[in-house]
Amino acid sequence: MRASLVGKLVGSSVTRKEDRRLLIGKGSYVADVVVDGMVHAAFLRSPHPHAEIVRIDAVKARRAPGVVAVYTGEEMKAKTNPFVNFAMLAGLYSPVFWPLATGRVRMVGDPVALVIASSRAEAEDALEYIEVEYRLLRSVGTIAKALSPGSEQLWPKNGGNVVYEHTDTFGDVDAVFASAEHVFTERFSSHRQSNQPMETRGCVAEVNPTELVFHSATQSAHSLRWILAIGTSRAGAVDTLKALKANRARLKSFGKGAKEFLTANQDELSKNDNAGMIHQVRRDPSTLRHMSRLFANTLAMDARHLPRVVAGDIGGAFGVKGHPSREDVAVCAAAIDLGRSVKWIEDRVEHLTVGGTARDETITMAMAVDDDGHVLGMRADLVVDQGAYPAIPFGAPLFTRIMKVMMPGTYRPEAFELRTRVVATNKAHYVAYRGPWANETWARERMLDIVARRLGMSSTEIRLRNMYGHDELPVKMITGPTLDIEMSAKATLERAIELADVGAFRNAQTRARESGKLLGIGFATFHEAAPGPPDYADALLPGGGMISSEPIRTVLEADGTVSVFTQQVPHGQSHETTFAQVAADELGVPFDQVTVVFGDTNRTPFGLMGTGGSRGGPMAGGGSMFAARDLRKLIVDQAAGLLEAAVEDVEITDGTIHVAGVPARGISFADVAGSVRREGKAELASSVSYDGGRGGWVQATHVCFVEIDADTGMVSIPRYVVVEDCGDLINPAVVDGQIRGGVAQGVGAVLYEKVAYDADANFQSSTFIDYLIPTAVEIPAVEIHHLQTPSDKPANFRGVGEGGMVGAPAAITNAIEDALAHLGVTVTEQYLPPTRILELMGVIARSAE
Amino acid sequence: MTTNEVGSVSAPVSLTVNGTTVERDVAVRTSLADFLREDLRLTGTHLGCEHGVCGACTVLLDGAAVRSCLMLAVQADGTAITTIEGLAAPDGTLSPLQQSFMDHHGFQCAFCAPGFILTAQTLIDRGVPLSREDLRAEISGNLCRCTGYASILESIEAAITEALGPLADSNGAAK
Repeated sequence: MRASLVGKLVGSSVTRKEDRRLLIGKGSYVADVVVDGMVHAAFLRSPHPHAEIVRIDAVKARRAPGVVAVYTGEEMKAKTNPFVNFAMLAGLYSPVFWPLATGRVRMVGDPVALVIASSRAEAEDALEYIEVEYRLLRSVGTIAKALSPGSEQLWPKNGGNVVYEHTDTFGDVDAVFASAEHVFTERFSSHRQSNQPMETRGCVAEVNPTELVFHSATQSAHSLRWILAIGTSRAGAVDTLKALKANRARLKSFGKGAKEFLTANQDELSKNDNAGMIHQVRRDPSTLRHMSRLFANTLAMDARHLPRVVAGDIGGAFGVKGHPSREDVAVCAAAIDLGRSVKWIEDRVEHLTVGGTARDETITMAMAVDDDGHVLGMRADLVVDQGAYPAIPFGAPLFTRIMKVMMPGTYRPEAFELRTRVVATNKAHYVAYRGPWANETWARERMLDIVARRLGMSSTEIRLRNMYGHDELPVKMITGPTLDIEMSAKATLERAIELADVGAFRNAQTRARESGKLLGIGFATFHEAAPGPPDYADALLPGGGMISSEPIRTVLEADGTVSVFTQQVPHGQSHETTFAQVAADELGVPFDQVTVVFGDTNRTPFGLMGTGGSRGGPMAGGGSMFAARDLRKLIVDQAAGLLEAAVEDVEITDGTIHVAGVPARGISFADVAGSVRREGKAELASSVSYDGGRGGWVQATHVCFVEIDADTGMVSIPRYVVVEDCGDLINPAVVDGQIRGGVAQGVGAVLYEKVAYDADANFQSSTFIDYLIPTAVEIPAVEIHHLQTPSDKPANFRGVGEGGMVGAPAAITNAIEDALAHLGVTVTEQYLPPTRILELMGVIARSAE
Repeated sequence: MTTNEVGSVSAPVSLTVNGTTVERDVAVRTSLADFLREDLRLTGTHLGCEHGVCGACTVLLDGAAVRSCLMLAVQADGTAITTIEGLAAPDGTLSPLQQSFMDHHGFQCAFCAPGFILTAQTLIDRGVPLSREDLRAEISGNLCRCTGYASILESIEAAITEALGPLADSNGAAK
């Protein structure tokens, strides 16, 4: 619609470039990739939560029709390097583990063997011929079990199932709690949830005569590339040394690269200590041996086996596809071993079983408050269940660091303490799921309502009283980062209170109760580091700023179009549209003249972050702006020569470059590109590494209205309001879509979705009939109101990918408690299906857990 | 009969796909979805769950929306199938429904798009007025994980309004 307009694309809901192919069925998702001679993979998976593998017999399977190869765990181990954690935190034990289970299975769905056959059906058939003898072990199915000293150990080298323990203290917590007029404490628990994009995970490892191309639905192509390289480069010591000797050039170039990296990051690196690694090596000395070998192997590996990762269209991810999988490495290793292309597309049962799970956490929170409801101190004890294996390349332990920084929110406690423990259980592994730190917001916002009720205050008054207002900014959060003068959480709350018309609602609520109807309202306010201020990374982890810059490259192509190359890997976020809007505005060219290039590690700039952390808009959007601005200068310089004009007299109008005032005698971008070529100059291109500038916060208040059917316990949401401030909106329809999608997942989390296990960690929700993704009937309309605090930041974009799901569970559970408060109900769980509502109301007896 | 013997049994099928007659021998255990995607390379039909729950694999079979993951290809013998590839004009012009999805930013990742679009097409083809509440119910057999459905509902409502007139509110009144 707006595609032909020039100059005011940013801020407009330009229709999506992506839709031209996606709406006619011509997208290219990984399951659509077909290459010559391709064979198919299927994994044999453990039916047990915890068992020793006594014996595997694959003889019959190897002889089954169509079978090309079978790899058992031990056979795969001999061809691969293990997963070793490189981001060691002090107090963390991170087990060394392999693509397929070796010796022991630790969760239902643990991959035990890999069959490669000429069709997926034949591969699945052959799985049934593999005989595995298991010796069952006691399993660990709950956080409580994991914490109990007598429980079976998943990782005996660790000594217990607590794999990470750390306490952070800010201010004099003991003194604040000792002198406070009131201390309230509650224990909150949230249930295991799962991202469940409509497209499962998958890959095609394409072996062709010149290179290994790894087609994948990945959120981070470059990090997947190097994890595949590390995992599949296994070679013997003699071969490795020979290869290193034969390839001095690579060693030299690596040495040079390493030196550049160390020099560039000297300051950040100097903030790190070795406490994490020392802790790890004390528990598992083999870590060092594996690390040295995989490092040498990777340096020595055959260049033809260094994968080129290519991502096409991706059917959603919400975090899960940011983690390279064990299956990825196994499939890639098999393809290299066989010299044949191998395809693996996960089915939904697999994805529900072991695709990735999140948010199985307990938070015991205490607030020290005075009679007026001032929150003076916060103290929390967090336990995260990371399941059987740590996420790759990082997972729960790192996300607890975000929880540590964000938990006080935009309130002003004088003291704060967080004790963190991460435990291992026999459940599917933890992955990032849209706002993986979000339970800090849930627990805090839930607790504020509980405190307010006990003090006889309103839920809005306690927030207004404790939240930093504009006149107090800038100020540092007690956990470190600066709340800059544009931080507007309180403004979103104030606007939300107006929109909600709380007075009218209370009247309606009272009248409704008289006629047996249960109505409730819930508020939740949060801020989010998307991208965060410059001092945010240091508050997370010393040296945390090291890899956070965003590379963008812009190029003037021979035909006069402009390409924007990004390491982002969009999977629904519409980056092809939004980055093109930003670049086209900077360059003064039509939208159709800009193409965003992503997903191919041979073509895109190196970056390990991929798409995640609500960084696409602020970091890559900002990077696109500056890289396009630089390119414009180069184009104008070249054009000035052609127009025989001074640079300052050259203008660009509607894609035509001309001397000011004479647009009729202009030249095109193609003319400029042609002249560059004729003059034998290098193409006009600009590369930036954007650090986010002054960064800043995105903030929002969510207001949820609920109506509860007292007979059935069904919760409906007649109204849902989001007031948010993300700075300038590149494409309002895209922003609103992100917010609505996040809220929908929050609704699902509270009312419908639960990854279910029995007490012994036997998995019980392996279809969409068990794991309930909400439909159009269940998801409410979401009213969105945008605030835009004035800013002089040159690229004033803040990220909105995760916030919807950060705020929603808090607002919804607060509304539910509000509806039931007159019955004396306190809501401390995040999962509130109808049965649980009826239990809370005392209508039915509470079932045993 | 063992699994592998079943896998090797094939049968001839003859059907029309997007207006073109197709005659093939197909393994009897092949689902209609796999037949479309692998044998005919019509990969616009997506497999989201293979349990008949998510609706991503929806195609039109003699005009009715069916889940191609739950049907065998041999069961489609003698029928006329329309897939997502069959809706746009040969010159690439989008169908009114597809255009409406573009205009309203209907989808994000769009993996679910083929199923929603074909399900919604049956509502237009049926030609029976419906309310917004009806519309929500009609598309509740298709799952989307990205959008929260609002943009999908807007896209379909606009296309239905164009074809059949405005949707009624749930109380029956026109909007």
